[in-house]
Amino acid sequence: MSYLEYVIGAYAVFAAVLAWDFIAPRLQVRRELRAARLRVARDSRRNAAPTDLER
Amino acid sequence: MNPLVRWFHQLGSPPYFDRFAARWTPWCYLAALVLFGVGLWQALFVVPADYQQGDSFRILYIHVPSAWMSMFVFGLMAFYAAIALVWRIKLCEILAMACAPTGAAFTVITLATGSIWGKPMWGTWWDWDPRLTTELILLFLYLGVMGLYGAIDDRRSAARAAGLLAIVGVALLPVIRYSVVWWNSLHQGQTIRVFGESSMDDSMLLPLVLMVIATKFWFAGSLLARARADNLHREAGKAWVAKLASDGAAP
Amino acid sequence: MSTAPSLLQTARALITRDVQLLWRRRGDALQPALFAMLVVVLFALGLGTAPQALSKVAPAVLWVAVLLAGLLSLDTLFRGDAEDGSLEQWILAPVPLAWLVLVRVLTHWATTALPLVLVTPLLGEMLHLPRSDLPMLLATLALGTPLLSLLGAVVAALTVGMRRSGILVALLALPLYVPVLVFGAGAVTASAQGLDASGALLWLAAGLLLSLLLAPLAAAAAIRIALT
Repeated sequence: MSYLEYVIGAYAVFAAVLAWDFIAPRLQVRRELRAARLRVARDSRRNAAPTDLER
Repeated sequence: MNPLVRWFHQLGSPPYFDRFAARWTPWCYLAALVLFGVGLWQALFVVPADYQQGDSFRILYIHVPSAWMSMFVFGLMAFYAAIALVWRIKLCEILAMACAPTGAAFTVITLATGSIWGKPMWGTWWDWDPRLTTELILLFLYLGVMGLYGAIDDRRSAARAAGLLAIVGVALLPVIRYSVVWWNSLHQGQTIRVFGESSMDDSMLLPLVLMVIATKFWFAGSLLARARADNLHREAGKAWVAKLASDGAAP
Repeated sequence: MSTAPSLLQTARALITRDVQLLWRRRGDALQPALFAMLVVVLFALGLGTAPQALSKVAPAVLWVAVLLAGLLSLDTLFRGDAEDGSLEQWILAPVPLAWLVLVRVLTHWATTALPLVLVTPLLGEMLHLPRSDLPMLLATLALGTPLLSLLGAVVAALTVGMRRSGILVALLALPLYVPVLVFGAGAVTASAQGLDASGALLWLAAGLLLSLLLAPLAAAAAIRIALT
């Protein structure tokens, strides 16, 4: 009986799941840093252009 | 002050932890990859095929380390959660919650490889073997912790609630395991399933040891990466995060 | 001299209050039993009505029906008090929060799960449960349902603040329920086969004793986490 497909299948699952486990936190960190950059940009725009109330 | 104690206190500072995690994550992954490389090469090409199971027993070298990791990570998660609940240390809350997804990943690998290994052995994709059944319930416990953590808005209450669930889960896990073993023995009449790991020759042991160590390093890398992400999320409005982001830090 | 009420006084006061509130909505007490009966009906319709097929699975189906009915009734355990602010008063009370939780859970069990257990013989007849299995089934339910209530109380306490927590409660509670179900339904199966089920009963009894002590403490911790 050829066990090749089963061994390949099992190792493929192993690689795929660990790949997800590697990528997901990297994407999260990237998203957090991007959100922080956008927040900085928003805050600097708000401070640079005074609103009607402050004029 | 004792340098080790001082280092522990420093780790509790979010910016320091961010730098620590960002620095050590790549090294952990690198160590894991090297050990995976050697271990898998040994497992696939060097170790001779098993007398009874042929080449399919090579699945053991990913199934068993993953199974051990799924249990170990759950215990570690409960340990961090206990510290977080008793001493209210924010870092331990973060670490506990960061354990869950990677632990769940190892549990999924255990279930999938166990099922794939079982097909040529038993003829079916699924069998209510005590070990697989316990792994399945373990997966539900992991998903429950992750679900509860995600369902509560306040991050600190969420981590403490999910941590309490993890502690309850770890206390019940031996009971669950024993109950399934007992239940399985009730429905005897089928041949006892054995994964063929009872007697291992020394030449077969080396890849297993390498894979076990490799998965530990991999988990350390993932733990630090996920903890870093959660840390950044919790500290979102703070000045140090803003500075880090605008300095163009690499992820 | 302490002016805090004694544990027994507190218990009596809480039980009186709960029973009064439940009495005003006494129709609701039938709902778990009706749900269990519906589950039995669904299984009978799904499996086909041949008596042999039904009687083989009867103990397990009855156990699952009681378990699921209990799971659904967990929602009412703390929700009323969470919504009107009484739960915060519980935290501030001079009596241990775990004691209040224990009394509440036992009252809840007596008014939701106990009727279920009493209705079980009727449901057993519907599934052609062999009469000889009934005593063991009732014994396992008598030990198991309070255990399920106590474990469920911890999960209910963890999710007490949430609005749409229905399915999440079930997902969190069911893995914890597994050993109770296994030992409960397994004991009935074992004794039906002539095997000795006393080990399973002892596990249920031991679990019940431990939970009586530990589950209220865990639930109290969970309530504090959820409300602060």
